[in-house]
Amino acid sequence: MAPPQRRGRWQETLAALPWLAPTLVLIAGVVAYPTILMAWTATRKYNSYGVERGSAGLDNFIGPAGALTFPTVPIPRILLNTVVWVTVVVFITLVLSLLLAQFLNKPFRGRKLLRLIIILPWASSVVMTTTVFNYGLQPDVGLFNRLLVDTGILDAAYGFTKNPTSAFWVAVFVAIYVSLPFTTYTILAGLQSVPDDILEAAHVDGANTVQRYWRIVFPLLRPSMAVAALINIINVFNSLPILKILNETPGYNTGHTTTTLIFEYKAQLGPGVASALSLVNFAFCLVVIAVYLAVVQPTREV
Amino acid sequence: MRRITKAAIAFGAVFSLALAGCSSGAPATTPATTTPAGTGAAGQLPATTIKILAPSYSESSKTDWEKIITEFNKKQPNVKVELQIEGWDNFSSKVQARIQAKDYPDILNDNAFAGAAEAGLLYPITEVMSEATIKSIEPALLKNGTGADGKQWAAPDIASSRLLAYNTDLFAKAGVAAAPKTWAELEDAAKKIAALGGGVAGYGLPLGQEEAQVESSLWLWGAGGDWAVNGKLVANQPTAVEAFAQMKKLVDGGMTQPNAGATNRQQAADLFNNGKLGMMLSHSGLLKETREKFPQTKFDLAPIPSKSGTPVAFGVTDFIIAFDNKDANRKEATKQFLDIMYSDALYEGWYKGTGLLPVTTSQIAKGKASDTNNAKFYEALSYVKFLPVGNPQWDVLQKALQGTAGTITSDTPENVLKKIQAQVDAQG
Repeated sequence: MAPPQRRGRWQETLAALPWLAPTLVLIAGVVAYPTILMAWTATRKYNSYGVERGSAGLDNFIGPAGALTFPTVPIPRILLNTVVWVTVVVFITLVLSLLLAQFLNKPFRGRKLLRLIIILPWASSVVMTTTVFNYGLQPDVGLFNRLLVDTGILDAAYGFTKNPTSAFWVAVFVAIYVSLPFTTYTILAGLQSVPDDILEAAHVDGANTVQRYWRIVFPLLRPSMAVAALINIINVFNSLPILKILNETPGYNTGHTTTTLIFEYKAQLGPGVASALSLVNFAFCLVVIAVYLAVVQPTREV
Repeated sequence: MRRITKAAIAFGAVFSLALAGCSSGAPATTPATTTPAGTGAAGQLPATTIKILAPSYSESSKTDWEKIITEFNKKQPNVKVELQIEGWDNFSSKVQARIQAKDYPDILNDNAFAGAAEAGLLYPITEVMSEATIKSIEPALLKNGTGADGKQWAAPDIASSRLLAYNTDLFAKAGVAAAPKTWAELEDAAKKIAALGGGVAGYGLPLGQEEAQVESSLWLWGAGGDWAVNGKLVANQPTAVEAFAQMKKLVDGGMTQPNAGATNRQQAADLFNNGKLGMMLSHSGLLKETREKFPQTKFDLAPIPSKSGTPVAFGVTDFIIAFDNKDANRKEATKQFLDIMYSDALYEGWYKGTGLLPVTTSQIAKGKASDTNNAKFYEALSYVKFLPVGNPQWDVLQKALQGTAGTITSDTPENVLKKIQAQVDAQG
């Protein structure tokens, strides 16, 4: 008997196509088309109303009113802000989530209720949460300000949202607050998959608590930490509402990240320059992710 | 081999995740619709749709427009009218989104028109309003809707003038006898009121996004200057430096409310309403609220102080502009709609809803005779000066002022104006 003839690679792909088609259409429509449109928009000239005025070449990037060269925009500071924003928010979120997950993994009374409470910030809309913080931080009517003044921490109410630098750090705080639930749950899922018998075996072999944690639990958490970190990086990098709502200072102030700057450009310079910065932003985002992958190597086998 | 494929897939997944994550989408617009039902008859237009985009002047704005729509639909039952109402603070970006989507509103109520006119998107307003309607509008106000090319691109729909509103109780408490006429007197009064303490500020300086262009223009005019120099709009000029220096003096002297660079006029008005502000430049719409909801706050009105003491008269009109959708039926429907809107019967209710002043001669006469609360605003309206809204350059200067004028709180007047000028020049 001759072995059955091996079908060609192409034929195989072709046969798989009907099953892949919906996904491919989705990717083409939702990912590829907007990206191509954005790249095209970035090379066109628009007035601030959004009326197209022919080709712009690279003017939207580096022309007199280009994304990277528009006068009075503190570009280096904004790039630095973006890096600080992503690293600080993601790092603190991960550390706090690790602690929280550890705690929630221990059996105790009321654990279910506590787990529910911790997931709440995730269940409410980011815009709503941030708006509540914004109201609370208003100098004349804000409850947080009132609390800080009444407890004597502040002498007088402070306009946290009226100054780009303080608004930025308040935004960092809120971003951590809204990122915690998802991250905690991802890590908690990882913790629950650590097999008990390995830990018991280590215990029998004489490993103490610290050794058991750093030599066994932590390495096993690597995949879930990697997922949590990567999704957080992308999410935080693109987070517009938190910074936008909390920073009430208008114009090209020092509280922007590249993502909020895109919005500022869209209003003042039109969609061409905004798209140009979106492309730069995209490249920048990839660099941040690449650095993360290179430094942390989260996909390395344990 | 397997590992490489795995890595490739992983990278692909990360890449498309990043791709989807890193590109931000345009916000969608969801217009509110009213759907009339009906069938054709003589003199009626065939089924079509006209779209209106308008800002929210007050809580009643939507119902005020709907009254006109109902009346219009009695005459033209086949024409569907789509109404979209948006808040003022982000209004220009909503307009921008519609224009970018090439979904031009047939009727737009806005405070600028030059950019759209220059881009050739508009009908001259005379084509979509009958001659009688045009004639019913006060000529001095109508002139404000003329473009740089001399064409009538826009018709005003409401007007407002600005005056200095001052809290008479605070003035009495601080021992200030009369409303200030000059900058020096204003400074003196603001200092005395701020010294009262208890969170009371002397002068409300709203240099936030919403109205920095108006506030800084008022100070510029108070210094005797004008944005237009030899037909060109110039930000960085000696009188502007003087005006900005005076604003900075108020801020640095602790005479204004805190965070002047991030305060919108409404926030200043909130302070005023609660008796925490001595004076601010205000308009009839804001003061209507003070009268109705904060009767305990007693105030009076005075002309706007200037450096020399000659009052600054400042007026604003908002406009109706009509986009060219290349459709004769829509154009005709627009025309009939606007004629109905400006008719005495409907216009009176509509303009009153905004809390501002009317633009038609008949309503101005009626208002002058009956509206004692706003008598001083009507009086000011007869000699006001307008922002250079007909100049397409103004759109650019306005945005630069909105974004950057507020930095005066932490920068020198020279630097701030240099930055504004640089932004304007870069877009030249």
